Parts: sequence; structure tokens; C-alpha cells
Amino acid sequence: MRGLLKTLFANRKAAIGAAIVAFFILVALAAPLVAPFDINQRVASPHEAPSAEHVMGATRMGRDVLSQTIHGTQTSLIVGFAAGLLVTVLGTAIGVTAGYFGGKVDEVLNLFTNISLVIPNLPLMLVLAAFIGQTGPFVIALIIGLTSWGWGARVTRAQALSLRQRDYILAAEMLGEPAWRVISFELLPNLISIIGFNFIGSILYAVITEATMEFLGLGDPMVVSWGTMLYHAQSTSALQVGAWWEMAAPCLALVIFGSGLSLINFAVDEIANPRLRTLRVPAKVLAALTNRSSNQGGRA
Amino acid sequence: MAFLLRRVGFYVAAFIVAATFNFLIPRLMPGNPVDIMFAQAGGTLPPEALAALKETFGFIDQPWPAQFVAYLKSVFTWDLGLSVKFHPLTVNEVLLRALPWTLMLVLTSSLIAFAIGSLAGILAAWRRGGRFDSIGAPIALMMQAMPPLVTSLLALFLFAIYWPVFPTGYAYDPEIDPGFTLEFFCSIFKHAFLPIVTMALAQVGGYLITMRNSMINLLGEDYIVLGTAKGLSDRRLRMAYAARNALLPTVTSFAMTLGASFGGALVTEVVFNYPGLGYTLFQGITARDYPLIQGQLLIMTLAMLTANFIADVLYVALDPRLRKG
Repeated sequence: MRGLLKTLFANRKAAIGAAIVAFFILVALAAPLVAPFDINQRVASPHEAPSAEHVMGATRMGRDVLSQTIHGTQTSLIVGFAAGLLVTVLGTAIGVTAGYFGGKVDEVLNLFTNISLVIPNLPLMLVLAAFIGQTGPFVIALIIGLTSWGWGARVTRAQALSLRQRDYILAAEMLGEPAWRVISFELLPNLISIIGFNFIGSILYAVITEATMEFLGLGDPMVVSWGTMLYHAQSTSALQVGAWWEMAAPCLALVIFGSGLSLINFAVDEIANPRLRTLRVPAKVLAALTNRSSNQGGRA
Repeated sequence: MAFLLRRVGFYVAAFIVAATFNFLIPRLMPGNPVDIMFAQAGGTLPPEALAALKETFGFIDQPWPAQFVAYLKSVFTWDLGLSVKFHPLTVNEVLLRALPWTLMLVLTSSLIAFAIGSLAGILAAWRRGGRFDSIGAPIALMMQAMPPLVTSLLALFLFAIYWPVFPTGYAYDPEIDPGFTLEFFCSIFKHAFLPIVTMALAQVGGYLITMRNSMINLLGEDYIVLGTAKGLSDRRLRMAYAARNALLPTVTSFAMTLGASFGGALVTEVVFNYPGLGYTLFQGITARDYPLIQGQLLIMTLAMLTANFIADVLYVALDPRLRKG
């Protein structure tokens, strides 16, 4: 575990990504302290342009956009992490069970996984949210978690299936280890990079999906989050009247936070699958790997 | 053939599961499902239409299993009920009116993204670690992290509001009569341009990465080395040997991405006021038009299943091993 973290931080992409994510977590934790204005007070004139006092401008209701974005970080991150965790736990449990036990169990679970993958996620979530009505952040996290585990289950199952045949697993079984022990001490540690990849990807997916659902009017408009900020900006035609700043702040937050997560994931992928590495691979190693790069390089 | 038949069986099962969600969700909510579903309908629908609507959704005076059979019967005869918001149109009529626009956006943008992304992925993998790869791959990655919502808003603001080159709404200029005229097609093109570009941008990075990784894993194979030894041209080796086989995972991801891109179309259409399924659904959500919201799940599932089936057929065409069985 320690070695893994060390490798992860030696990778420049992972380090930058982790710094970005850590920054957002800090902002979320310290939101009431760092937000310059009260988000429930009218502190500026409607659609006031960005200035030294209101760095990101103000909404039509005269709320400070920067303060709203900072408070919104709390909601968006909580939903992201909660839904991401649920997606990963469900996906890993289903994938590992199917891959380890095989046979009928695998057939049934795999059928469900495949079905969940061909039913389009967003439309299904919209049906759920529409019937539930005013969906607060936690309900949204639950909806995302329960509908989006399919991809993780499929990838985990494939890897568990191939690990299942390895000698050390068979040896553990021969020794009479119970299934739960083989799974948690032999199988899961070797799935850690896939589980991590799935977790980070799911957080990204959940943050974007939450914002999308709220933008479409399926959130609780009283909650301050990046999605509801966009929803209010859209319903007051902020862009059309030239108040781009009302949309710019939550959009920037989504993009920067998302980039941080994908940087980490790119690094996880590179560490788990060294062939995919782009940078920092000596030309000789490359040449030996592909047998071609050297004469390619010569010609280029 | 057996392979394709098995797939069709699976798709029918998946479609029934989607219909089951529609059946169960209102019945699992606290309170009376009929009241929940048709709360908004009382105002717009005449009583006899409301009675017919209840029957369509299986709200008959019988136990659940019989209700379920009744509902499945409506679904499989493609009777999706009446729209509450767009009364007197049926859900079917509302959705079919919007579907062609969404299909156009999704298919065009997916094909563009597939072509550009795969070609770029081939090049990136061929010169792995080269300049194109070390710039292209991280950019592709960043683009994947860009939510369609953000790219759409940005494109709308930059190219339709701040610098008004493109329109901010409709599928074509309402002052032009629809018909087979050059003017009409130009108008369609102009209105669809920004939505298609933003939707393609959201997907292109995914194809680049999939193709690149799939190519890189193949380039170490012996048959590539043999091809080099035989003295095949780079171009032939790259396209006919490596890319030909690297295409298989991309076809799978094409079918998966198509589903995501229907989701992306929902958002893009709302931002651009484009009269496709997404925008219609948005109006349905605002009016709590439950028959319409449920209908769109079925039609989206159907579109997704069709895309997957086409991918299966392509797979059989691309992978000879599947043709034997």
C-alpha cells in the first residue's frame, strides 16, 4: 500500500491531480471561513459584473457568485464522494462475486450487469428523480449510485476471472481457506488498481451527473451547488443578458475538479499498465518493447 | 447467426427490464401511484382520456401481476399513452416528432468523433512518446473530463451570443418553409452546427484513448514484427495490420458511447433550445408529464439496443472467429 502511494506520487500527473483534488477538499471543508459573503444575503446589485469586491460578479438576485461556488463545492463533493463510493462498492461486490464463484452465480450477475449497461443511465435517473420529486443532494447520490455500477462490475469481473486461475489463489483454496478470506486477502489486494480507477472515475461521473440533473430542473433549487447555480443562471437567462460570470464560476469549478480527477486516473492507468506510458520512457526501452520505434525515430 | 440470435434475446430481456422500471417506480413511491402519476393530468385531459391513460399504464382493478401484463401489452404494442403537457398529442407522436433531430445530432457527432478520434489514436500509438502523442493524449484526457454541459454553455456563449455567428435556438429558421430547398438545408446545417461540434468534442477524446491503448497493446505482437520483416510499407502495416485488429474494442466502445451521447444530447439540446428528445423531455420534466418522461426511457433504451445490435453485426463482420459458431 505504501509502495503504491509512493509510486503514485512519483508520477507528475498524479501529483498535480492530487493537489487539485486536495485544494477542492480544503475549500469544501473551510467553506464558511473562506467565502467572502453570506450566500443568503443580497450583497450586490443584480448581475453586477466582476470587480475587486465581487471577484466572480453577482447573480440576478444580487448574491456573490464566488461565495456560492465555494459553498457549492461542499454539496458537489459530498455527492461525488458518496455516489462514487456507492458505485465502487456495488460494482466491486458484484464483479468479484461473479468472477470468483463463477458458474450459475456468474451467469445471473453477468446478465444483470450487461442489462444495466444497455439501459441508458441518464434517462433512467431522470425517471427516478422525477417521481421522487424534490431531490436533495443525498437522494441524487443514491440514484447515481444505484444506477451506475455496471461498468465497474464488468471490469472487476473480467480481472477477477483471470486472477481466479492463478496458482496462489488455487493454493489458498487447497489449504482450505474459506471463500471470504481468499477474496479479501488474496483477490482484493490484487484488484486495488482497478478498484481505485473505478472509484475516481465514478466520483468524476457523479459530480458531472449531479450538475446535469440539477441543471435539468430535477434538484432541490434551495440547495446551493454547482448544478443549481447553473440552473438558476439558465432560468434567469444569464448568458443572454451578458452575465456570463454567473455561469463561468461553476463551470470552471467543474472543469478544474474534473481535470484533477482524470489526471490521477491517467496516472493509475499508466502505473497499472506500463505499456501505455507516454513520457519518461527511455528510447531504448521503447525500442525493445515495440521493435520499431528506433527506426521510426531515425526517420522522423 | 446463433450469436446474433442470442443477442436479440438478450435485448428483448433488457427492454422488458426497462419497462419493469417504468411499472415499478410509481408503485414503489409512498402514496397512491395513480394520484402521483396523473396529478398534473386532471387539469388538461378530459375524464375519458384519463381513464384510457390509466388503463395504458396498467392501473386496472386487478392484482399486480395482471397489471404488469396489461402494462407490458401496452408497451409492446407501442402504446405509450397521452402526453399531459402536449395534449391532445400522444407520447408517441411527441417523441417521434423530436426523435429525428436527436438522431441526426447523435449519429453525425458520433461518426465525426469516431473518425477523428480513431485516426488520431492510431497516429498517437504509432509514434508513442512522440510529439503528437505527448500533447494529444493528455488533451484528449482533459476533454473527456469536460462535461457536455460546460462545453455546450461555452459554445453557446462564444459563438451564438458574444459573437453571434450561429443561432441560439430552433432546428431551422422558422421563416423558411420546410422542403427540399438548398436554403432549408443550409438553415438546418447552421442550427445543428454548434450542437454537433460540442457533442463530437465530448466524445473524440474517448475514442483517441481507446484506439491508442488498443493499438499499443497490438504493436508488440509477433505478426507486426513479421510484417516489418517482410518489408511491408509503414502505411499498410499501420492501417491494414495493426488498426484493423485494434478496431474491435473501439466498436464496442462506439456502442457504449452512443448511449452516453444520447444522454449528452439531452443537455446540449436544452442549452441550444434544439427541438429534439432532450428539449422535449426538459419541457416534460418542468410540467411533470410522467407519461412522457417514462416514454423517453423506453425510446432511449430502444435506440441504445439498436446501436448495440448494429455493433454486434459489425463485430461479426470484423471478427471472423464469431462467424463460425
